[in-house]
Amino acid sequence: MSFTIGTREILAEPRPLPSKTVRYLVPVLSLIVGLMIGAVILLASGHDPIAAYKEVANRGFLGELPMIGTLVIATPLILTGLAAVVAFRMKIWNIGAEGQLIIGAVAASGVGLALGEHLPGWIVIVLSLLAGVAGGAFWAALAALPRAYLNTDEVISTLMLNFVALSIMNYLIFSSVSFWRDAERLTFPSGRFIADTAFLPRFWGRLHIGIFIAIGAAVLLWWILRSTKWGFEIEVTGDSGRAAAYAGIGVNRKIVSVLVVSGGLAGLAGGLEIGGVMHNLDPRALSLGVGFTGIVVAAVARLSPIGVILVAILVAGLNNSGVGLQTMGIPDDIVLLLEGIFFLCVVGGEWFLRNTIRIGVAGQPVGERSVP
Amino acid sequence: MTGITKGFFGALANDGVDFDLQWGEVHALLGENGAGKSTLCSILAGLYHPDGGEININGRPVELRSPHAALEHGVGMVYQHFRLVDRFTVAENIALGHPDATFLSRSKDLEKQVEHLSSKYNMPVPADAGVWQLSVGEEQRVEILKLLHRGVQILILDEPTAVLTPQEARNLFRTIRSMAEEGRAIIFVSHKLDEVMEVSDRVTVLRDGKKVGTLPTSEADPASLARMMVGRDLEMPARREGVPGEPVLTVSGLTADGDRGFEAVRNVDLEVRAGQIMGVAGVSGNGQRELAEALTGLRPVKAGQVFLGGVDITRSSVLDRIKLGLGFVPEDRLGTGLAKGLPLAKNLSLKSYRAPPLSTGPVISKRAVDQRADELIQRFDIRGTRPGLPVSLLSGGNLQRAILAREISGGPKAMVAAAPTRGLDVAATEAIRTLLLEERDKGAAILMISEDLEEVLALSDEIVVLYEGRIIGRLRPDQADPEVMGLMMAGREVDLS
Repeated sequence: MSFTIGTREILAEPRPLPSKTVRYLVPVLSLIVGLMIGAVILLASGHDPIAAYKEVANRGFLGELPMIGTLVIATPLILTGLAAVVAFRMKIWNIGAEGQLIIGAVAASGVGLALGEHLPGWIVIVLSLLAGVAGGAFWAALAALPRAYLNTDEVISTLMLNFVALSIMNYLIFSSVSFWRDAERLTFPSGRFIADTAFLPRFWGRLHIGIFIAIGAAVLLWWILRSTKWGFEIEVTGDSGRAAAYAGIGVNRKIVSVLVVSGGLAGLAGGLEIGGVMHNLDPRALSLGVGFTGIVVAAVARLSPIGVILVAILVAGLNNSGVGLQTMGIPDDIVLLLEGIFFLCVVGGEWFLRNTIRIGVAGQPVGERSVP
Repeated sequence: MTGITKGFFGALANDGVDFDLQWGEVHALLGENGAGKSTLCSILAGLYHPDGGEININGRPVELRSPHAALEHGVGMVYQHFRLVDRFTVAENIALGHPDATFLSRSKDLEKQVEHLSSKYNMPVPADAGVWQLSVGEEQRVEILKLLHRGVQILILDEPTAVLTPQEARNLFRTIRSMAEEGRAIIFVSHKLDEVMEVSDRVTVLRDGKKVGTLPTSEADPASLARMMVGRDLEMPARREGVPGEPVLTVSGLTADGDRGFEAVRNVDLEVRAGQIMGVAGVSGNGQRELAEALTGLRPVKAGQVFLGGVDITRSSVLDRIKLGLGFVPEDRLGTGLAKGLPLAKNLSLKSYRAPPLSTGPVISKRAVDQRADELIQRFDIRGTRPGLPVSLLSGGNLQRAILAREISGGPKAMVAAAPTRGLDVAATEAIRTLLLEERDKGAAILMISEDLEEVLALSDEIVVLYEGRIIGRLRPDQADPEVMGLMMAGREVDLS
């Protein structure tokens, strides 16, 4: 590929393996480009970009309250990001973290309600989080088994199961007098609250210990993918299914186990939202869209579990500062547009990882010079 | 092309190469794998940009900054890996990217043009068929027709015969000759001496990125070309008789379905003994791939039985067969035999990562994996590697060394080796054959499936010929003259007595 600007000719050719510097430099430069494009859009829509970016920093990251808010939002995002990472590494496209999160929340709140009054708090916490994991894993298994043994398309099945999960939650709270529903509230239906002994401990304002669980899960997943047979088999299967079968890896069982783990991580996100933030099942408050945002987080983090932590916090900070931007008169749509542009730039920057750019004088052979 | 230089990773793939091509000639580019043939062609086709040197066409310097720019100068290349859209028809693929093609091009007109071209150059393809329905040989014809349709005058064919049956190759040679007679210039990349002798007018030999020389084919002979290519005289392993022992791999009445549902392997009986190489000859597409897959557990067995060292493995998983000591060198090296995006070290541990010393419990020791890889790289002389780089950057010969290193180091009782030296250069072929013979002498039972008759004759202690999934003949190498084998491979039963 090549094009000419004035007397300069710009050429691109494939780069077999990017160096470490390039791998870290490219996303940072891409983000800066994104910020600059965002500034142009803010200017064009009549807003002061510097003030807006300052507001993002102040509301999203700097200071105690902004950081607490950001980390609370980041907690489920890290887990749904990890859910996408583990599946996408094997090229299994789990688009169903949203539904798995919801079923995880249903299961976790169910266990919390059933046991909350009878058992010590910490036992209830552990059991309800495990129920969240199991709920998400079960929901993913509904798509995993037909994917592995009947070769149905997991993109369709996981996506559709999101709507089924959402309908189940709505039915439990809005359309029936279920075990989850607070029967006394009729005008504004909502779920019953779990016993406050079963709340996740908070240690910094309203920041609960879920953030440690999420970061711990990321580190654990990083280690598992890097250093265990299970992780190695994911790497081989993701690279070539035929090579995996040739090496004696049971690819179908692998698909099921990966999707179950992926769903379990999303379900854990739902459990943490119940135990740490909401304390009841409430369809209006359960952070809708976290499952889908997790996919974006994973893509921007280039499927690195550790990268997911950083990207999730960045995204959470942007979300957290949205209210502040709106009070400045910047509409929600522009905020979403800006987020979209940042991600697009970072993901689009990938191209520079796979290609080198050379600049030469038009009409003359090009030398060895290359820039990232 | 003069003084072409191009480096990758600090190593020069082309080092000051001069190359001249005349209208109306078939110019063979000969060299071992990794000699820089593909790089030189990719530069001419505009895919890579040279670090130094210049290209002149008809005496005028040209800048070929992209494959598109090269096409505009009339230069087109057929790559080893085809670049066709599976879902499109042949005619649509040929029109794709053509400057005159519009969104609403009449497909009937197009098909007519394609049929005209294909009959003119004697390259039959069904113009209205989807590319996914074509054989590899047909796909290659589509690639060539596509370039002819674009009016390409300089045609580069990168190892075109590697994917073809001998029959298809012969047809291709006829097409190449007729294109040259029209005044087109053709670069024919190969490392097969016989083909170069048969089809080319002149030969340029490359070695280690440098040009060794150019000479008219009429003044060349295979032995001198081989010396130029390798830089030394060759010695093929002298055939030594094996000492067959007990039967290790026993197959009775094996029947298996092919991908399209009909029986690709029919009622095959085989008995491979310890210390014996059994060669399976035949024209490709007669059930070889399916036989190998059924034996190694990658394809379900429909009827019959397979025993390995007395154990019935007919229904065993791939993993159980590996554990029982069944090695497999598959025909498809990158993608089946190796995971192409993974580095060499990981690929070398693809079958041994499950047990100590490479892993303890669920945890793999990276250090043990690397250490084992270093050992195997040394012992089997796998070259051109840098840790961490994807294995797909290795040359064909080194890919096969890597697979054999892994399979042999597992200490197999029996090994299925499919097309073990296909596409390899002379030196790599020699090395791989030596490894197979050594393994036989250590007592492994080897089933070698090969379309290369010369290879079957050189290595086998016993030969069977596969035709339409059936064994049509069994013979010893000393009974196998080319005529007998040719008849059997064509489906005739021959009375050997």
